[in-house]
Amino acid sequence: MQKKGITLLCVTLILAVTWSCNGNKGAQKLPILGRQEFKEVDGKLDTIYHTIPEFSFYDQDSLEVTLASFEGKVYVADFFFGTCPTICPIMKQQMLRVYDKFKDNSEFGILSHTIDPAHDTVAYLKDFSMRLGVSDSKVWKFVTGDQDEIYRIGSAEGYLVPVGEDADAPGGFIHSGAFILIDKEKRIRGLYDGTKPFEVDALMNDIPKLLAEYED
Amino acid sequence: MKIKKWESLVLLITFIFMGCGSGTKSDNEDVHSRLDTKGLQQFSNGKQLYTRYCQNCHMENGEGLGTLIPPLKDSDYLLNDVAGSARTIKYGLKGPIKVNSIDYNQPMPANPDLTSLEIQELLIYISNAWGNKAEPITLEAVENVVPNQ
Repeated sequence: MQKKGITLLCVTLILAVTWSCNGNKGAQKLPILGRQEFKEVDGKLDTIYHTIPEFSFYDQDSLEVTLASFEGKVYVADFFFGTCPTICPIMKQQMLRVYDKFKDNSEFGILSHTIDPAHDTVAYLKDFSMRLGVSDSKVWKFVTGDQDEIYRIGSAEGYLVPVGEDADAPGGFIHSGAFILIDKEKRIRGLYDGTKPFEVDALMNDIPKLLAEYED
Repeated sequence: MKIKKWESLVLLITFIFMGCGSGTKSDNEDVHSRLDTKGLQQFSNGKQLYTRYCQNCHMENGEGLGTLIPPLKDSDYLLNDVAGSARTIKYGLKGPIKVNSIDYNQPMPANPDLTSLEIQELLIYISNAWGNKAEPITLEAVENVVPNQ
C-alpha cells in the first residue's frame, strides 16, 4: 500500500516538473502591438490594427523586396549596419540562432535593414551575409535602399523602433537592438531585445505559437 | 528499508530538477593552476574589461562571428604575437588580416582611452581564456608597443 503511494507521488512529481519545464504551451495568443483605431462597420465597431506599410528595398542578391515578398510568412525584422562597433555583432549572433532553427520552414523569413545604405551596398551585404554563413536571400534578406525610406519604415509608421543618424553615437548611428515579430497580416506581434539571449529564447518560443494560429 | 525508499525518492527528484537546468562548465578552470595570484588578479580584471570593450564583437566565448569577426580563442594571429595585439587594441585595425588561414576584413575600432595597464590585463585575459595558453605579458612589453602618454 505504502509502495503504491510512493509510486503515485513519484509520477505526480515527474508530471508536475515536466509541465513546469515546458511552460504553458499553446496557452494564449500573442498580443497585437501598436496603436489601434476603431471604425464602424454595419453598426459594429471594428478594430483596425497597426500594420507595416508598403516598402521597396533591395536584398543581398539584388532582388527587390516588398511586403509581397513575405506573403504567407511570419517574419522577424531588425536594423543594423555593417561597420557597427557596438550591438550589431551580438544581434547577428543571436539572429543566427533564430535562422538556424527556422530556416527550413517555408512560412518563415528574416528581414535585416541596414541603416547605413551609403556604405552597405548590395555587394557589401552579399559579402557580409556570406561571412555569416547565409548563402542566399531565400530566408534571410539583408536589405538596403533609400535612407529616408529605411528610417521611415523603422519609425512610428512601421516597426516602432528608433533609427537614425547621430554623430555622437558610436559608429555614427543610433538604432535599437530590437527584433520585431510580424505576422502574416503584417501586424506586430512581439518586440524582443536582440542583444539578450534569454529574450531571443522567448522569440524562438513565440514563433511556433504564432505559426500555430494559422494551422486551423 | 523505509529510509532507502525515501532516499531514492530524493535522488529521483534531484535528477529531475537537474534535467531542467543546463550544466555550464567553466572554460577557464586550468588558469588557476597556471597563473600565480597576481596573474589571476590581472586575468580577472581583464575579463571585466573584455566584457565592456570586446565582447560585443568577439563574443563571450571568444569565437568571433562567422568569417566576419575573427576568433580570439585558438587564434594564431593573437597567440603568435601577444604584444603586437596591444597595438590593435589601442589603435584599432583597418584592412584585411589572416587568422588561422581565413581572411577577415572588418574594421576594429580603436580604444585610445585604455591605459597600458588595462591593455596588459586585457591581453593576459584573452591569451589565457577559453583554453588559450600564454606566458602573462609584462607591463614593460606592452609599453614597448604602446607607450603610455
